[in-house]
Amino acid sequence: MKRSRRVVLTMMGTAAAGAVSMSFVPRSGCGPGLTVVPGMDGKPYCRATYGGFGGAPHRFHGHGHGHAHGGG
Amino acid sequence: MQRLACTERGDWRSTAEQCGFDFHTIDGERYWDERAYYAFTLDQIEHQIEQPTSEIDAMCLELVAHAIEDERTLRRLKIPEAFWPLISESWYRDDASLYGRLDLSYDGRGPPKLLEYNADTPTSIFETAVFQWTWLEQAIERQIVPAHADQFNSIHERLIEAWKKLGQGRHLHLAGMTESSEDAGTLAYLEDAARQAGLATTGIDIEDIGWRDDGNFVDLDERTIELAFKLYPWEWMFHDAFGARLIKAPTRWIEPPWKAVLSNKGILALLWEMFPGHPNLLPAYFEDDFLRAQAALFARGRQCRAGLRRRHACEAGRAIWRRGFCAPGAGAAAEFFRSIPGAWELADRPHPLRALNPRGREPDHRQQFAVLAARHPVKTLSASRSPSTARPR
Repeated sequence: MKRSRRVVLTMMGTAAAGAVSMSFVPRSGCGPGLTVVPGMDGKPYCRATYGGFGGAPHRFHGHGHGHAHGGG
Repeated sequence: MQRLACTERGDWRSTAEQCGFDFHTIDGERYWDERAYYAFTLDQIEHQIEQPTSEIDAMCLELVAHAIEDERTLRRLKIPEAFWPLISESWYRDDASLYGRLDLSYDGRGPPKLLEYNADTPTSIFETAVFQWTWLEQAIERQIVPAHADQFNSIHERLIEAWKKLGQGRHLHLAGMTESSEDAGTLAYLEDAARQAGLATTGIDIEDIGWRDDGNFVDLDERTIELAFKLYPWEWMFHDAFGARLIKAPTRWIEPPWKAVLSNKGILALLWEMFPGHPNLLPAYFEDDFLRAQAALFARGRQCRAGLRRRHACEAGRAIWRRGFCAPGAGAAAEFFRSIPGAWELADRPHPLRALNPRGREPDHRQQFAVLAARHPVKTLSASRSPSTARPR
């Protein structure tokens, strides 16, 4: 099998990790109960630790009205 | 099947980290272990692992078809009634599955036995598909293994092909608990493969998924989530805050809702009921049924000792098969098997490709990933794993 195959990663690894959305790897520095996650602008931000499916405070969105903070 | 000791690459840690495999060591203990590999004959791979894997998969699909038509079965699996329509609709719509991993007990002599089916949220696919292959290439280059060694491994290519079929031009979201480096690494790899398949993708933490009042799940950019891969078990989603919204939302999930049946450890008992004595299954029972059977055995004097032995085995197995299910044979079986091959189901085709080194008698959450490899004309593999959370894997 090996003669005919080549495994190539296009995103994972040091060469590409910072260039695409794979910035999942956790970093510290937010303090207790908070964690760093990548923001939509590519910069890290702090948010509360795990709350499950639908567990984040910004989880409800009005149609065409942007984020509805606090859960409506 | 042989376990062969070998020299580890001196630079394997940096090699792992360079390709994004940063969870090679978990809680200070090595998860990836290449100080030995498992060698198989081609016949063992094709007839003793691949073929039974297909057969087990066929039995599992038959079980799902039966379960969704039978309320009693769904109740026995403790699947919340509110989600039965979601499950059956996904089944009848033929929502596609991407992958799953069957963990087998196998000693190279007798038939492999199903220990559990990680049907919903299996991890270790990156280690299996990529890093295990990297090991083989470098091990040959450095003369750690013979030049003719090979590996039964085409997961990477097949994963890309599977994404092409599943994507169909749709944007793919990949969600999970991204605080876990193991889960994040698995998601990263699956996203990589999806991009190579031509899909546009977005990674998102499961808790960052939002809900819009038009009835759609959305990401942080308010993009509708049309197709989502989730490394997060159905049984948790059902009970989380957004669980009830799953029923009406149009999102297509991978793995699909019908996999909630197969990821349930109770299928071991159901499979044994449907296919009693099958060579690739271990005796398994729902706890209540087992206790009734045990009482009958005690009532028959002479067989009392047999009952005691089985009860002991069941208790040993309870560490694995929790929540009212037990597999009396499992504890005893795992005692003498030195590795647990993981056979992958990828886009409905079997693919054996991983071995675990149990640390103790029973497969648990602290197993190492051991490399599977093959000697000519055999196949070889290697690796190790130890999940850091209690989530089914």
